[in-house]
Amino acid sequence: MENAILFAPELICLLMGLVLFFCTVLNRSYRTTRGIAIASGIAMIAACLWTLSLEGEPFFPGIYAVDFFSQLIKTVLAVGFLFVVIASANPLTVDRNGWLEVPLFFIFSTLGMMMMVSATELLTLYVAMELAAYPVYIVVALHRNADIGGESAAKYMVQGMAASAISLYGMSFLFGTYGSTYFSAISIPHAAAHPIFYLGLLLTLAGFFFKLGAFPFHFWAPDTYETAPHPVITFIATVSKIAAIGILCRLLSLAMPGGWESGHAQTALMWASVIAMSLGNLSALAQKDLKRLLGYSTVAHAGYVLLALQTFAEWGLTAALFYAIGYFAMSFACFLVICEIGRSEDRITIDSVSGLYKRAPFLSFTLLIGLFGLIGLPPTVGFVGKWFLFSAALQRGQFYLVLIAAINAAVALYYYLLIIRQLYWVEPATQNTIKPTPLIAVTAMATIILVIAMGTLPGPFWDMAARAARALIS
Amino acid sequence: MPLLSSILLTPVITLIILLLMPQKAVRGIRLICAFSGLLTCVLSLQLWMGYDPTSGGIQFEEIIPWVSAIGISYHLGVDGFGVILVMLNSIVYFTGVLTMWDLEDRVKEYFAFMVLLVIGVFGVFMSLDLFFFFFFYEIAVVPMYPLILIWGSGNRAYAGMKLMLFLLAGSALLFPGLLAIYHHAGLNTFDIIALSAHTFDPQFQIFVYPFIYIGFGVLAGLFPFHGWSPTGHVAAPSAVSMLHAGVLMKLGAFGILTVGIRLLPEGAAYWAPTFVVLAVIGIIYGAYVAMRQTDFKFVIGFSSVSHMGIVLLGLNLAVLGSVAATDALNGAVFQMFAHGIMTALFFSTAGYIYDKSHSKTIADFGGLGAQMPRAVSIFIVAGLCGAGLPGLASFWAELLVFLAALKTYPIAGVIVILGLVLTAVYILRVFNQAFFGAPNPKWENLKAQDMSGLHLIPRAILIAVLVIFGFVPRLMLDLINSTTVAFLGNF
Repeated sequence: MENAILFAPELICLLMGLVLFFCTVLNRSYRTTRGIAIASGIAMIAACLWTLSLEGEPFFPGIYAVDFFSQLIKTVLAVGFLFVVIASANPLTVDRNGWLEVPLFFIFSTLGMMMMVSATELLTLYVAMELAAYPVYIVVALHRNADIGGESAAKYMVQGMAASAISLYGMSFLFGTYGSTYFSAISIPHAAAHPIFYLGLLLTLAGFFFKLGAFPFHFWAPDTYETAPHPVITFIATVSKIAAIGILCRLLSLAMPGGWESGHAQTALMWASVIAMSLGNLSALAQKDLKRLLGYSTVAHAGYVLLALQTFAEWGLTAALFYAIGYFAMSFACFLVICEIGRSEDRITIDSVSGLYKRAPFLSFTLLIGLFGLIGLPPTVGFVGKWFLFSAALQRGQFYLVLIAAINAAVALYYYLLIIRQLYWVEPATQNTIKPTPLIAVTAMATIILVIAMGTLPGPFWDMAARAARALIS
Repeated sequence: MPLLSSILLTPVITLIILLLMPQKAVRGIRLICAFSGLLTCVLSLQLWMGYDPTSGGIQFEEIIPWVSAIGISYHLGVDGFGVILVMLNSIVYFTGVLTMWDLEDRVKEYFAFMVLLVIGVFGVFMSLDLFFFFFFYEIAVVPMYPLILIWGSGNRAYAGMKLMLFLLAGSALLFPGLLAIYHHAGLNTFDIIALSAHTFDPQFQIFVYPFIYIGFGVLAGLFPFHGWSPTGHVAAPSAVSMLHAGVLMKLGAFGILTVGIRLLPEGAAYWAPTFVVLAVIGIIYGAYVAMRQTDFKFVIGFSSVSHMGIVLLGLNLAVLGSVAATDALNGAVFQMFAHGIMTALFFSTAGYIYDKSHSKTIADFGGLGAQMPRAVSIFIVAGLCGAGLPGLASFWAELLVFLAALKTYPIAGVIVILGLVLTAVYILRVFNQAFFGAPNPKWENLKAQDMSGLHLIPRAILIAVLVIFGFVPRLMLDLINSTTVAFLGNF
């Protein structure tokens, strides 16, 4: 029974997934299916909060751990799932025959991610990762226009498979070095870690770099962001990022504190970080498609997160976890607006948001807050988050690295401001007003409050992230 | 209720009320903002009266732990410099609201952004924690873009973008600089007072100081990073130019003083000769370029670069530890205040003339003095103050800095005094070409639109302040001198 309680979020996720499956089989209306999905999201959040402070290893000791870290990430994942389902009120860009499957695949992918952050054994981790990935491969392809959907799905899937194969290859190295797939066995000999350990670790990271959109596994991001149906890309851009950052924290904590001293692993991650942020920001400067621009911006943000993670220190883990939660909120604010204004448009260009201020004042305010966050301006979480991330790197004395990151943030300002200019200054092309439903308005409000609250009162959130980071290290 | 938090929370509460008000309630919005501005003035006056100059140092301290795990605390407190700058901001806020009384376009949003700017400025002048200092510093920068873009004029998209890119590039230097100070001290606190007790390694100070100086200096119009300032100020609406040139540029100088010089005195002393050269170039260059402008808002814009150069010169002379250090710092801080009020008056009046005539070309006006005597007189007062006329506040400030320059670096002193001549030339040139020529018949219709009633109130307040401190500089100098002595005593 105690095991079942520890496992409650996943169990509810699985059960509700089955319910949603029957909804699709019985061909219920999209309204009903979405309603059930929203209810499941709320139930999952409740279960996560209930188990937030519990610790244990349900069913299989050594393979699956429930601790504050995993439960915190699961809570955010559940909130993310709920928000994305709410945002997909009118998934017109999704093929009409596939509407019912959208929440179904989302919930199974969320289940995979939940298991991923709890996995403490390589094969469990791999299986969970695949469970998280496959449903998304499918929904990316469910575009109403088969040509558009086919392109983005092919890119996403082929690269995802390749990254996952590299991960598996890396895991074989770890297994080969330590003769075990248990994290507890892998993480013991810090000081005398074999070079192969670091090689294996870096290769293992590949699959999660892919999810995060970090260099050198970022190539799918701009294309898939541009062409995937809006609700689907909202899911990829928010929920799956949290899981990716979470699992990167878990894996890198295996190499702490030896990772920094060993040099090579740290150097590799540092360069991945520098290249990701520079490449992402510079490429984004030239984009005219809003979603594609955000695709490149996600690559840049992956770089900022890696900046903290390459320190192999508790501060870095805490900062990355804090930023993961904040990034979820900022990114969701942007994509929620994209889902709303792009109900019936396949592509959202920068011109699509022209004069949005006149057509939908509240939505344009939401987007403004999201963009301020991504720029890193106070009083949003983007500013505090960057302060913490950069601080982590400076704790290691990496002055110039932080300077590069800060200059990157200033460069990024340009393309974000162009969007803001379109929002508030340029005259709208059409006069059609967009009225969000009350549910969406409330969600947008909640997102704004989260972005501002984390930005002005970071204390409690930092403490939570620090507690989660300590749970990983101990 | 603690005084500093009350001053800071007044605009915060105003902002919240504004956001909840309906779009249409234009009159109510204006009244609330004016009331909030007046309230901050009253509270600042109380702060001024309550500050005890005999004991000096930091007073009115408030500390609330914010993120205790890494040593961030909400730590407010002001020394003499803080008191007068808080006062400056309150005055410019109040008069700025009155200046924009006639605004009709998107009133609610305009005042919301403007109040956000005011919050940021108050926060910087009061914060004694590096995190909050930078937090409020960035808050003050954020609203500039929408303010210039939506309510500005001329080449505003370009000007707004240029301003933001310059200022955030400055922040990019501050990010590693400020965090390096925190980690290098290893005290696990962002508290400026605690950090100032720590002696940093001289090598470290010399390395980090330029990042702090240039990072903040961008906002203070430091040559050669001043490019955003004239274009930005010209394109911004009047009250925003008032706040920006009048108060926001002081944030940069205040940052150099509070973070750079207070925490890294040896680094500051090492770099001071270099930065004195840049400051002198800024003074001369700003004045020289101002002479050649055809647009009278650009004249004011470049004059700001020149006048802020005087502030930066004073700061750098102060850290050299010469006999004239006290004069230099007193003069620099006095100049921050005097220039703030003067530029506010400048932009407030220039904005008024532009709103009525929709022209900014100097030669176009001819003899505007005959058509808009009141507006032109006010502009002339501001101009004379800029030229350093005795009896107006700038005179004392500039005098102190120039004397210090003559004592420390005679050559630099002579050059900047020549700069003062250039200032007189560009100011008198504007007067001559725009106000005292033959009246241009094109502007006959403006006769009926000269300043009256409500329009005169904000300008009258600003002139009164300039005159009071021009005739009784003791009021100001007593306050800052005690802080200056204490500040330099730490060296």
